[in-house]
Amino acid sequence: MNRASFIRKLIYLLLILALLVPLSYFSQPATVAVGNQPNAGDHAGGKLARMRAEYGISQANLGEIDPAGETIKLATLGLRGVAANLLWEKANTAKMKEDWEGVQATLDQLAKLEPHFISVWRYQAWNVSYNIAVEFDDYHQRYFWIKEGIKYLQRGSRYNELEPRLIYDVGLFTAHKIGVADEKHQYRELFRIDDDEEFPDHNRQLRSQDRRDNWLVGQEYFEKAIALVEDRGASIHAMNPFLFFSQPAMCQIDYAIALAEDGVFEEKGRVAWTDADDRWMKFGLRDMPTSDNLIIHLAEFEAVQERKAKAIEDLDALAPDLRDKMVAEKRNKLSPEEQAALNTPLASRTEQEHQLAADASMRMLVRHDEFADRVDEAHRTKARELASEATRLEILASVIQRDRDVVNFNYWRNRCKMEKTEPALEARRLMHQAKADYDEARLAQARQKYEDAFKHWRKTIDEFPMFVDDAVGGDAIPEALAGYADVLKQLDEPFPRDFVLKDVLFAAMRRNPMALPLDYLRASFEDAPPGPEMPRGQP
Amino acid sequence: MIIENEYPPYFEWLLAAGINPGALWIWLLTVFCLLVVGLLASFIVLTARHGPAKAGDLIFKALAGVANDVVHTSPRRVYALARLAVQEAIRRRVLVGFMLFILILLFAGWFLDPGRTDPAKLYLSFVINATSYLVLFLALVLSAFSLPADLQNKTIYTIVTKPVRPAEVVLGRTLGFAAVCTGLLVVMGVLSYAFVVRTLDHTHSLTADDLAPKAPTENGTVPPNRTGTTARHRHEVKSDQIKRLAEEGQAVTETEQGHYHEITAVTRDGVTEYRLGPPLGQLKARVPVRGTLSFRDRGGKPAEKGINVGNEWMYHSYIEGGTPAAGIWRFSGVTRDHFPNGVVLEMAIRVFRSFKGVVDQPILGSITLRNPDTRVEHLLENFQAKEYAVDQHLVPLELDNLEDPQGPKIDLFGELVSSDGELEVEIRCLERAQFYGLAQPSVYLLRREGTPWVNFAKGYVAIWLQMVLVTAFGVMWSTFLNGPVALLATLGSMVGGFFVTFLQSLALNRSLGGGTFESLIRIGQQKNLTEQLEQNFTSAVAVGLDKVTRIPLFVVSRVLPNLRELNDVQYVADGYDISADLLAIHLTTGLGYFIPVLLLGFLFFKLREVAK
Repeated sequence: MNRASFIRKLIYLLLILALLVPLSYFSQPATVAVGNQPNAGDHAGGKLARMRAEYGISQANLGEIDPAGETIKLATLGLRGVAANLLWEKANTAKMKEDWEGVQATLDQLAKLEPHFISVWRYQAWNVSYNIAVEFDDYHQRYFWIKEGIKYLQRGSRYNELEPRLIYDVGLFTAHKIGVADEKHQYRELFRIDDDEEFPDHNRQLRSQDRRDNWLVGQEYFEKAIALVEDRGASIHAMNPFLFFSQPAMCQIDYAIALAEDGVFEEKGRVAWTDADDRWMKFGLRDMPTSDNLIIHLAEFEAVQERKAKAIEDLDALAPDLRDKMVAEKRNKLSPEEQAALNTPLASRTEQEHQLAADASMRMLVRHDEFADRVDEAHRTKARELASEATRLEILASVIQRDRDVVNFNYWRNRCKMEKTEPALEARRLMHQAKADYDEARLAQARQKYEDAFKHWRKTIDEFPMFVDDAVGGDAIPEALAGYADVLKQLDEPFPRDFVLKDVLFAAMRRNPMALPLDYLRASFEDAPPGPEMPRGQP
Repeated sequence: MIIENEYPPYFEWLLAAGINPGALWIWLLTVFCLLVVGLLASFIVLTARHGPAKAGDLIFKALAGVANDVVHTSPRRVYALARLAVQEAIRRRVLVGFMLFILILLFAGWFLDPGRTDPAKLYLSFVINATSYLVLFLALVLSAFSLPADLQNKTIYTIVTKPVRPAEVVLGRTLGFAAVCTGLLVVMGVLSYAFVVRTLDHTHSLTADDLAPKAPTENGTVPPNRTGTTARHRHEVKSDQIKRLAEEGQAVTETEQGHYHEITAVTRDGVTEYRLGPPLGQLKARVPVRGTLSFRDRGGKPAEKGINVGNEWMYHSYIEGGTPAAGIWRFSGVTRDHFPNGVVLEMAIRVFRSFKGVVDQPILGSITLRNPDTRVEHLLENFQAKEYAVDQHLVPLELDNLEDPQGPKIDLFGELVSSDGELEVEIRCLERAQFYGLAQPSVYLLRREGTPWVNFAKGYVAIWLQMVLVTAFGVMWSTFLNGPVALLATLGSMVGGFFVTFLQSLALNRSLGGGTFESLIRIGQQKNLTEQLEQNFTSAVAVGLDKVTRIPLFVVSRVLPNLRELNDVQYVADGYDISADLLAIHLTTGLGYFIPVLLLGFLFFKLREVAK
């Protein structure tokens, strides 16, 4: 009996020893050098340790290690997922019941439990900065909670140093939540005087008063996120790269706009817009990967178009009348209905004719390779090369055009170029002063300044006519037009028929009629655009 | 402070409270029903085994035996048995629990962030909850394993062979374990309070540079003068206080994180130093006089409640601004004795803006006082709403006559408070299309500031009650179950006690996503709570099973004590006094469960052969 028991124990012992071998192979921890000093005894560790190092997912690779978080993880005895779920639910309930202290405490626990779960940081930071902040009536308290969300993200980024999305969100919240809200003037001012040491890089010693602007701080965080991607190979996951990489330049543009709203013009305004222009062009020349596996430069659309036109021109030159001939051949192959649809003037086409004509036009298109195949034998090789190049450039141009729309590239490029000009800066300065005069009931001065401003704006619009029918990124021009009309009304004068910005005024009347005194304006302009249609059912 | 289940005064709660018939009658009815059901079930079982005559005889003897035991219980023997239980608990390393508590306190700083908006609330909630869970766990383990271990080791014979009654064994064990846990609770309470006070204690640096005028920003905003940072916060020192400091050498900081500091200027050798005292106003125990709230709608007619502005949580009811809509509180017991220096009105209301309005201007409201008998009313003041803060307004004993400034002043107690000490306070929002959110506890009269440590101790009474009940349940289950099963049964009772409200919602089919079996299907099919289940055999069976289980769930949810309700941590953490009424209600509730559980324990133990 005793012998059997002894043998059983021996077998157990051998089994334990046998299990230690795979355990050691898989789980042996790595021994690493302290600091940067290599150590002769360094060992890469077991399979798991090596895989963690290879994929950069070991605790030390991910970011700071929090002893409290590790303790909580151990204390949950493997039920971390369940505990995280319960805490998530608890945070939601606390939010519903307006227990903000409870929300904060729960989010802290949640973060300690799941420090590498990026969605927790991002979702809950948004919750705090956007959803909880608005629950407060006092804008000081709202600002406090916006900051709490930002600090939460900053804490998250310390535990996840290779995660650009968290740093990107810090930039986004700092720039947009503070700079775009209805209370942006109050928030920006609070941000400027904020000396909260918990707000990293934001104390007086590290940042001059001049740089304490939410757009510039946001810009720095966006740049940090980009540096992570560029220098350390971090991934932006499913984020749109055009939005991601455009943010520093967009921040500069928004900063310049905010300066104008704050009444800061002249040199500072000019420098801000010049910097914005430089940054936007730099962004336009950046290598951008696309979903089509192409590398494009947004600023090179026009150059690509030119190269494409040249390639087509060279191709056509190899067989001068061939393209017309091919189009005629294709047209002859169309059905009578399609031909009839094409022959009908555009304005008179029925819906079906529009469809038929569109299909027919597509079928009449002469593809470059098709064209090259019909070129004389002697030039065919050259033709095929040119056709291939033209096709490639066509695709490239369409991809650039599509991706330009994502960030409204062309608009901002022209805007930066326009806003840094002397007339534009002067016009904005005068409009700002005119409004101040109007608010102080100095009507004559306000009128004079408005008229001077409009003259400068005329020069600007003449140079950049694409902005005639545009709000130019805000309400400044419609507000100035409305302000000027109010001044004249109070002076009992009609709106001048020879108004220098008549085209801009009409465009504003079409676009935003409610912001302008339409009846008063129509008294001066018989050709003014019609007023808005009242919705049905309204008196 | 949020009070979702407000209790009426003690005797109203006990005997009759509005439409409720009174806790005592409900308790008696429940005990009676359970007794009848229990007797019937026993009679049926015993009849099957011994025939009806014998069954009746056995039941009668058992009941008579329990009654006899109860009547003849000797305090001396109970004390001796309780002392044995205490010795046993100490022998079973109950002090390990205490060491664990010390460990928690030592490392609490890792998990608690002193930079929160209200650190006092955070720390108080933490220590009370930590103590509560630890003591309940100890009570659970001690009570569930004691009797089964004695039975298994046969050591129980050394007791039952002595002239002691089974009831005395059960009562002795319960009281003994409760005494051990009470001792631990007292020590933990003292340490917890010291921990909170010690952790919250801090001061700040303040230099002449901090108080010097600051350069304005480009937009002309002057940054505030503030103290140095400690515990992740700093205090603003307003210009009037800087002036006062220069003139009188004394000033105070602005309130931050629920406290402020006194500043003293000390000049030595021509150099002035500024010293800040400890945090003040951090731990509070406000003693409120609460009123009953009624509403008036936008048409000026009485209404049961205000408007819901779309919040999921309907605790606050909203009144529309710029209309006759109002929230009217009626307070009783407003006497000169209680308020010798005038009435302090405190309120914590919510604001809802239907449009932004002027962003940096709070929404205006008015406070009107009215005599409920004579209907004489007086506009106390127009105020600016402050959200998530206690907004204090003083009603002086003599008020200015706003209609006739030259005329005599209005006597608060003579004209506005009725002869039987009743006063109406009407809150209105003055701005059109803006709203105030009100709930009954939103407005109260501050009778006095209580003593924080006394309130803290009252908070521990609730934990003590929870512990006593868990001990009683543990001993009761252990009279007829073995150790692990008794532990599970007690744990089940305890968890059930914490989730009584949820069990009730399941039993009454008010739970979103259906009952237990429907939820199982939803989890399996990954369907959310609101999605319609497919109509098939499986779902029909699940819904049917849920219907069947609702009955036992209903009984369980009505029989188990609501342990969450017995927790007063919120009062302590929010700085409100736990009233004598609330304490009495909790103690009575505890007693209401303790007695039947103990009697069941007597009965079960008596029916075991070992005790015969």
